[in-house]
Amino acid sequence: MKWWLIAWREIRWEVFLDRASLLRTAIFVLVPMLLIFSNRSIGPGGAGDIAIIGLALQSVLFPSLGGVALIAATFTAEKENGTIVPLLAAPIRDFDIVLGKLVGMVIPVMVSCAVTLTAAYVLAGFRYGAERVAHVLTPELLFALLVLSLLYVVTTGSIAMIVAARVRSSRAAQQIAGLVIALSIALFATLGFVASQVAGGWPLLALGLVLLAFDVAALEVARRVWQRGEVIGRI
Amino acid sequence: MIDVQHLSRRFGDVVALDDASFQVQPGEIVALLGPNGAGKTTASRIIGGILAPSDGDVLVDGLSVRTDADRVRARCGFVTDQPSLYERMPLRVYLGFFARLYDVRDPDARAVALAKLLGLDDVLDKRLGAFSRGMRQKVAIARALVHDPPVLLLDEPATALDPEMAQTLRAFIVSLRARHRAILLTTHDLDEAQRIADRVVVLFRGRVARIGGTQELRSGGRPSFRVSFAGGADAALAALAPLALGATVLPPENGLSTVRFETDDPANINPRALRALLDANVRVITVAAEERTLEDAYMAILAEARG
Repeated sequence: MKWWLIAWREIRWEVFLDRASLLRTAIFVLVPMLLIFSNRSIGPGGAGDIAIIGLALQSVLFPSLGGVALIAATFTAEKENGTIVPLLAAPIRDFDIVLGKLVGMVIPVMVSCAVTLTAAYVLAGFRYGAERVAHVLTPELLFALLVLSLLYVVTTGSIAMIVAARVRSSRAAQQIAGLVIALSIALFATLGFVASQVAGGWPLLALGLVLLAFDVAALEVARRVWQRGEVIGRI
Repeated sequence: MIDVQHLSRRFGDVVALDDASFQVQPGEIVALLGPNGAGKTTASRIIGGILAPSDGDVLVDGLSVRTDADRVRARCGFVTDQPSLYERMPLRVYLGFFARLYDVRDPDARAVALAKLLGLDDVLDKRLGAFSRGMRQKVAIARALVHDPPVLLLDEPATALDPEMAQTLRAFIVSLRARHRAILLTTHDLDEAQRIADRVVVLFRGRVARIGGTQELRSGGRPSFRVSFAGGADAALAALAPLALGATVLPPENGLSTVRFETDDPANINPRALRALLDANVRVITVAAEERTLEDAYMAILAEARG
């Protein structure tokens, strides 16, 4: 359980005490709220329901995007400061370091996703009617959205970590994170369009399966690629 | 305790280490010397189980870094030139965190004990970001000692420390030797190495250029002597010329002139030189053997290695 020691350290002493990451998370949490406030044109019927689902999707997507940047920045900052060296010198498996770092970032991101989704649900209830929102955003759907965001964060976080382990500076890591975020936005926009064309939960299920496959692949690649020698050779 | 066996490491086309072999015994401080790029840090990282060797092996406490890297890491304490601390963590939490990573029993008590050992017990609950450079380096040493390792790998530990702090650090390293630790000290500070190292390994372009006891290396080379006297140096040089010693004049000190010469046969040559000087009415004050510093020996070894 050494990965959990690393994860808890990240959560307790880095994420909660880093003003920049707290501010960034707050912005990513507030954006979906603003979208709900500013969206007045949701009409009755199926199209309106899909728009409500879209808003709920955004409320988990935005904090997840913030998480990708957080993961990339944290890992390269450790390399730049040299604080990764004592970790590499400790009797821990390479994969425990990867897992610890990833879990240490994923948990705060998932908490912010859950908070944003709850706030979005309550706000949407006030704005579009509690009964309608409860009918559209069923507990199953809300759960599915959180699972999707978890899969998304793990996938993109793993990719960001693999690449961040091989670059030398925070700037390079941020550029990579920006690229991953841009690709994600394009992917979600496409999926949003598909969701609006296809009735039922099939797009979400398909997205979930795709992300699950990516998750497994990304973690396996991280396990194989992420080696002490590679990281220490780039410090 | 540390047994480096025909160790090589390549980074692409670059050969960082080439067939290096040496040992460090318990209760011994070995200084790993060499110019930049000689492979010192690479060797240190391989011994510590952070970097895999390309060829050869290292045995630490009988364990191979190739097959038992995790257990090797558990037996090594690693200190780098940069303390590299988590600045937001208080000292107590920081040492406790690493104690847990190393499976130390009662990690909180160990953190307190180490802080006391290094004189940091009054700042246990202070964040590391507020520590001075010297205190940070002490914390890095405490971190390396958290699991009471039999092997210590110190990579430029006194870099950027003030002289007083560097002296305290040296005294602490020597005290660890007394507790039977095998200590590999990677350094550019030859004065530091001369003061505390029992043996020296000189690396040059990834290869071991010389291994030897610190005193043994210093006493190597041609014996040299200085003659101090009152008056001008010309008469002294003229008096010594028939002996063909290649004597040279050194800058005057305390109003006295000095000439320096080297000889492989001081028992025969020195009395003859002194007689020649006295016969020439040179007022000789002292004749003294020059003590070669480790720096002199190191420079000679490098010159030899360069061919």
